[in-house]
Amino acid sequence: MVGKDCVAIACDLRLGLQALTVSNNFPKIFQYGDNVFLGLTGLATDLSTVSDLFRYKVNMYRLREERNIAPKTFANLVSSSLYEKRFGPYFVSPVVAGLDPKTSKPFICGFDSIGCIDFAADFIVSGTATDQLYGMCESLWEPNLAPEDLFETISQALMSAVDRDALSGWGAHVYIIEKDKVTKRLLKGRQD
Amino acid sequence: MVKVGEGNSRAATFQPHLGRLSPIEIYHARLGRLGKAWQRDLSSLSSGWEVLLGITGRDFTLIAASKAAMRGATILKASDDKTRQLNKHTLMAFMGEAGDTVQFAEYIQANAQLYSMRNETDLSPSALAHFVRGELASSLRSRKPYNVNLLLGGVDPITHKPSLYWLDYLATLAPLPYAAHGYAQYYCLSILDKHHHPDISLGQGIKLLTLCIDELKRRLPVDFKGMVVKAVTKDGIVDIEFDDDKVVKSA
Amino acid sequence: MAMFSQNPLMNGPNYSFGDAPKIGAPEGAREHRFDPYTDNGGSTLAIAGADFAIMAGDTRLTSGYSINSRHHPKVFKIGGTTADQHDATIVLSVVGFAADGEALKERLDSICKMYRYRHGKPMNVKACAQRLSTILYQKRFFPYYAYAILGGLDEEGKGAVYSYDPVGSYEREQCRAGGAAASLIMPFLDNQVNFKNQYVPGSGEGHALQERERRPLSRNEVEILVKDAFDGAVERHIEVGDGLQMMVITSNGVEEILLPLKKD
Repeated sequence: MVGKDCVAIACDLRLGLQALTVSNNFPKIFQYGDNVFLGLTGLATDLSTVSDLFRYKVNMYRLREERNIAPKTFANLVSSSLYEKRFGPYFVSPVVAGLDPKTSKPFICGFDSIGCIDFAADFIVSGTATDQLYGMCESLWEPNLAPEDLFETISQALMSAVDRDALSGWGAHVYIIEKDKVTKRLLKGRQD
Repeated sequence: MVKVGEGNSRAATFQPHLGRLSPIEIYHARLGRLGKAWQRDLSSLSSGWEVLLGITGRDFTLIAASKAAMRGATILKASDDKTRQLNKHTLMAFMGEAGDTVQFAEYIQANAQLYSMRNETDLSPSALAHFVRGELASSLRSRKPYNVNLLLGGVDPITHKPSLYWLDYLATLAPLPYAAHGYAQYYCLSILDKHHHPDISLGQGIKLLTLCIDELKRRLPVDFKGMVVKAVTKDGIVDIEFDDDKVVKSA
Repeated sequence: MAMFSQNPLMNGPNYSFGDAPKIGAPEGAREHRFDPYTDNGGSTLAIAGADFAIMAGDTRLTSGYSINSRHHPKVFKIGGTTADQHDATIVLSVVGFAADGEALKERLDSICKMYRYRHGKPMNVKACAQRLSTILYQKRFFPYYAYAILGGLDEEGKGAVYSYDPVGSYEREQCRAGGAAASLIMPFLDNQVNFKNQYVPGSGEGHALQERERRPLSRNEVEILVKDAFDGAVERHIEVGDGLQMMVITSNGVEEILLPLKKD
């Protein structure tokens, strides 16, 4: 979700096999550098594979270029890496959020499982509670939210959405990304 | 069209109707097919009746595995040990398709031991768990994936922190305070949800394990021939004597 | 594939039912199948207030990707003395298969009118709600494919909303969204009507957190909420749009409001 000079990214913590909850502490957001974040939903094994793959690729990028990767560059890396597996894809739908290292402009985008980028100016949703999240975000979000208001908006949107989805929930992680500050908060939420 | 049974194992899965679909439809059909393959029904597999349990506590990780080796409706062995020691303080328990399990476990065991010999140091439980996941993940997208579910328990040699990793055949890795595989999940996780605490002693851990196994004896329709129970502590792995002959009255 | 054949320009005549002639079937052979249901999209919403109830629905009627009408009502007054329903006190909304919805509305309306004729008084919502459940369950094995919501004022004059599944399971609720965009609107309602996930600032952490106290919403607040909910749904669901029809039930009768929604 985009705010004024800030972005937020949030995920729930459930890991399940259909109806059975296997873990209630399985974060789906990964950090790649100071202000580049990747959220992943989908098949859990591919979540790990993909997040590890990008950790490797981003570390190699940092060594080669001697600088951190920018969100836009990272988004294109995600896209091309997923499209490489066009005919045997990773079953994930990623979300990228971050601030441009030069201009500090908020950047968010989403992808399908084969890397088609969806650039958005407001918000990106993904996962089993997509419908609910669209409904919540579309009605709660407004332009130019300050960091604290953005935190409240993204949290209310996520919590209410996952409470109407049997396959999501069990608490949440919320990251608010500002120019020289990243705030991570744990939301408890309903434990059912 | 490819004839079925021409010695090509792919022929059996060849879907002639995919030929007339657009690329997008083939893509969705593939998604659907893979999706189905990954939603296996436990009851159709003999490995569905195997039991794997793991519990962590203050300074230990308990691993328990059923003793029965099954093939269809037959019990081939009643004293099977479904665990392998990877190094001094890491133990792995496994269940799944008959040939795959031991093959995969011993491959991992050999690699763990090779690492220990080459580097004169052991891999930590977390490092091993991620190594296993990597091997399982590359196997998943190979021609013949391993069908193995695992629990990996250990105590970190430096921090002495106990840990337990849950891995399924899709290479899903989850670090957990307590875990189970197969039908045991449905019966034991609720008991563990209620009674587990991260600060329990080994004695309390064994009590909790007994509670779980009693419930399995009470509710599982097959006799799994008791459990092999092992505890990982900072001093290494110890076998725990477990009373398999205890009779649990059905509810 | 059926989804794409809905467009008459692309594939010649289009069939709303599954009895289209089979292309490529052996000569003389014809598969006869009759699919009696179509999903006509759209969404409905009902919220009960302290002394009023608001029933709302969009006015788009779709089949597949085509829009068949931009002015098709989903919300109906039920059980007035005459056909114009000027003195009706109960409102029914239906989404799903439009023909079944229409049939259901006609059936319930005539039953309410018969009740008025026999007993010399209008039916109350509670009785009407139970009767609607019976009507739906009578067709348990060939159901009306319609998600119904019934609204009115109860015996104490409080707003009442009853929601149904197609076979007659029902429940009185504070608010309910139905139809294509139900999954988009319902969590919003939880959050904004029942204040779910809202806590008193500074009331503590964990179990010490105090839930924000629920209070009855004013009519104006609810009207704004309904409009916001639909504006959100229209933005993200292709089957919802065109017009927003709202029925406000108060002790003075039923007031109908028509507002525009995006038509794209």
